[in-house]
Amino acid sequence: MGNLKNSDLVEIVFWLLIAVIFFSVSFNFNQPIEIYKFGATGWPRVILALIGLAALGNLYHSFKNGSKTQQGRVGASEAPDQVYYSSLTDYLKTAWILVIPLLYAISLKPVGFYFGTPFFIALVMLAWGERRVKFILMSTLFIYGLLLILFMFILNAPLPQGNVSPFYDFSAFMLKMKTQFDQLF
Amino acid sequence: MLDNFLTGTATLFGDPFTIGIFIFGVIGGMLFGAIPGVSMLTLAAILLPFTADLSPSQGVMLFAVIYCTGTYGGAITAILFNIPGAPENAPTAFDGYPMTQKGMAGKAVGAAVLCSAVGGVASAIVMMSATEPLAQWAIMNIGPPEIFALVFFGLAVASSVGGRTIWKGWLSVLLGLLIATIGQDPVGGINRFNFGFSDLAAGIAFVPAILGFFAVSEIFVQAEKKVSGNYSAPKFSVDFPTFFELWAHKIAVVRSILVGFFCGILPGIGATLAAFMGYGEAVRWSKNKSDFGKGKLEGVISSETANNAATGAAMIPLLALGLPGGALTAMMVAVFQMHDLEPGPLVFYNSPDLIWIVFAGMFYANLSILFIGLLETKTILYLLKIPFQFLAPMILMLASIGAYISRGLVLDVIVMFAAGVIGFLLRRSGYSIPGIVLGLILGKIGEQNFAQGMQMVHYDLGTYFSRPICTILIIAGVLTLAKSLHSAFFAKHVES
Repeated sequence: MGNLKNSDLVEIVFWLLIAVIFFSVSFNFNQPIEIYKFGATGWPRVILALIGLAALGNLYHSFKNGSKTQQGRVGASEAPDQVYYSSLTDYLKTAWILVIPLLYAISLKPVGFYFGTPFFIALVMLAWGERRVKFILMSTLFIYGLLLILFMFILNAPLPQGNVSPFYDFSAFMLKMKTQFDQLF
Repeated sequence: MLDNFLTGTATLFGDPFTIGIFIFGVIGGMLFGAIPGVSMLTLAAILLPFTADLSPSQGVMLFAVIYCTGTYGGAITAILFNIPGAPENAPTAFDGYPMTQKGMAGKAVGAAVLCSAVGGVASAIVMMSATEPLAQWAIMNIGPPEIFALVFFGLAVASSVGGRTIWKGWLSVLLGLLIATIGQDPVGGINRFNFGFSDLAAGIAFVPAILGFFAVSEIFVQAEKKVSGNYSAPKFSVDFPTFFELWAHKIAVVRSILVGFFCGILPGIGATLAAFMGYGEAVRWSKNKSDFGKGKLEGVISSETANNAATGAAMIPLLALGLPGGALTAMMVAVFQMHDLEPGPLVFYNSPDLIWIVFAGMFYANLSILFIGLLETKTILYLLKIPFQFLAPMILMLASIGAYISRGLVLDVIVMFAAGVIGFLLRRSGYSIPGIVLGLILGKIGEQNFAQGMQMVHYDLGTYFSRPICTILIIAGVLTLAKSLHSAFFAKHVES
């Protein structure tokens, strides 16, 4: 297997899966366009073919050179240094860091910005390894307050309000407070 | 020209309210550019509805000023945190962030201030003196085949300057191109790859994708280091570059001004490609190519000069032809439309006041970068002293709001965090995030112009290659690809 590692096989499977899935989905919109010979599928299918070719080239490179970096590649240093995990807990911690923002994003529609944000800020700090309760509370309040002042009061930006009670009611309460504050001036 | 410029200056500084708008644009653009997680586009999206209450000249001038100072501001986060404020600052991070890691952040930011100002002022002067003839030249010589050829050349350059190997560079650009095909096709309006989500019919928006790939993925990278005990805070320094250090790169500055201006003048291309090509040309002409990407001052200088040089040039197709060169100039078209105006050749005759107040505003905004930039640089460097466990949630929140505000869709926040996770995993494997973003930005422009070009020449490649600019750019792109393919097979490989 040359210098191939399991991660190289995962990479080739990833790219070929993308190419195959997108190619098969492209039949859903394979309609002719009267004024354009190549249709809606021409451009994406060329890209998918090139992805397949480049993925094979990448596999060949890994087979021949392993994880070595091509000399003279500019910008290669943007790839972070390799991080080695010593235990399962380290993997779980990283997974937790990746999952928290996704959960927050998914919860924005039902819960809204005004209710969910302080919990998200505190959770991110916890995931980052911060354990000082006073620091977390004060920082959460500071960041939340700053965001409200900047986007709600100064810039009047529309933010997600949620669509499930009691979260929606909380957002309505915050906006009512803002309106009353505006009326003071 | 001088009379018109002085008239524009008098109009700009003759009214306290207009001065206030100018100062707000200068400071707002710099701040939103320099705060990790938001960008000048966030500020512009928030301000767009308010411009209805301003006069047309004030509204367009405000956006032009934000464009100039925001392009510079994005360099600061690229240098200090490896989080480009906008795609046009992505190549700045290639060398700017390694300089920060080496304790040379002050030199990198100082060079970015000076070169952004020089590039911007030079571009503003050319813009003022030559908008009409350049627009005429562009009308006569630049069509869809030339724009497609430039996109092709730009993508070839981008694939050769990112990623651990050439294959990973190409795969990154191709992934960006594939993401750009999501949504309606640019010719027939047929829905592609929306996987049943109606919100995806409009495609993946640039702002959330860019925030996810750049800002969120960098937060994840730093978080992973923290968790595994490999985190080290960036080194703090306030050493500015000396005059002689900057003077030594005068040729790089001139080259980047030319590259930036050429890219900026072409409709739809804008400052992002300018920065990549300015950086790519610096590498191409350098005797020490291997030093790039490891903290070379010339990398920061080339990228920042080119992207600011493109800002003035990008106004030429906008004002003279009504064609926006990027997201922010597209918002300027909206400002025109709010006031029942259409940007285009007639604006020069119907609203000369508007044109010259915008030109004067951009000129002084670029000068302000120099003065305010140098004054604030030392303060901004203190951002490095803020603990990252405090900065991380702040950046994530600002990015979430920035992603949501542009279209008001929660889906965009989900897309942003998904892009962050994908970007994090791809970066760990040595893929190029700037390559993905450039593919994403240029994908639709490339496809649209390819289709229009093919229709123009009735699918006859002979006619396509009879256009000299198009042929030169295609050949340059093919040579770039051939050279990188050759090095993929024959270059030495070293342990990373």
